[in-house]
Amino acid sequence: MLINKNLVTLNLEAKNKEEAIIKLAELAQKEGKITSVDEYARSVLDREKASTTGVGNGIAIPHGKSKAVKEAMIVFGKTTDGIEWDSLDSKPVNLIFLLGVPEENVDNVHLKILSQLSRKLMNDSFIEMLKKAVTVEEILNALSDIQVS
Amino acid sequence: MKIVAVTACPTGIAHTYMAAEALENAAKKLGHKIKVETQGSIGIENKITQKEIDESDLVIFAADVAVKEESRFKDKPIYKVEAQKAIKNAKAVIEEALKLVNK
Repeated sequence: MLINKNLVTLNLEAKNKEEAIIKLAELAQKEGKITSVDEYARSVLDREKASTTGVGNGIAIPHGKSKAVKEAMIVFGKTTDGIEWDSLDSKPVNLIFLLGVPEENVDNVHLKILSQLSRKLMNDSFIEMLKKAVTVEEILNALSDIQVS
Repeated sequence: MKIVAVTACPTGIAHTYMAAEALENAAKKLGHKIKVETQGSIGIENKITQKEIDESDLVIFAADVAVKEESRFKDKPIYKVEAQKAIKNAKAVIEEALKLVNK
């Protein structure tokens, strides 16, 4: 499973992008998805430096490929106070999808799911559904619809 | 218009696919035909054939890294842009690209 209820938080509190990434990475570590928060977070922040993952519409999709990732994962965080993310539309972010993939032996099925998720984030009705979601189950249901073609 | 496009980004996990989706949606809205090849972590998907290139009016590269097998497109007008530009405003990217053809 790429995501489970322990990898979803609906009241993420973070002052900035770095803190948000680290807090979400800590959830991943608790679930045994990553071996090191520091090492994984560094890969994500390096990717952020290349170009922002704040893609507009209140969404950020930080991601990292790292040896510290044991298996592909999605961590989802929602925050009421927007977080500054240098987004493409300059607006703060409320929905964060933190993705991780291992450096080697990556499962193509997982990569396909991540690619489908990325595509869905361009879809306004999918975003609305996530923004309206108030329970962890609603988030998991929305994400479970992602099919691998 | 018939457009073929290639999207690519450094990690090949997210932006490649977001840019592809955005270009497909925008082209549909503008009434153009488009085929988008993604060059991501999964490898090349939805590969554009030589026949499709020959029949196309225009090529768009929405890529932050070098496009693989770029020489396939050498006889066509190519509009190059960062992947995130296509994510932010794919409609504007297509409209700009069309200026290469309508000159």
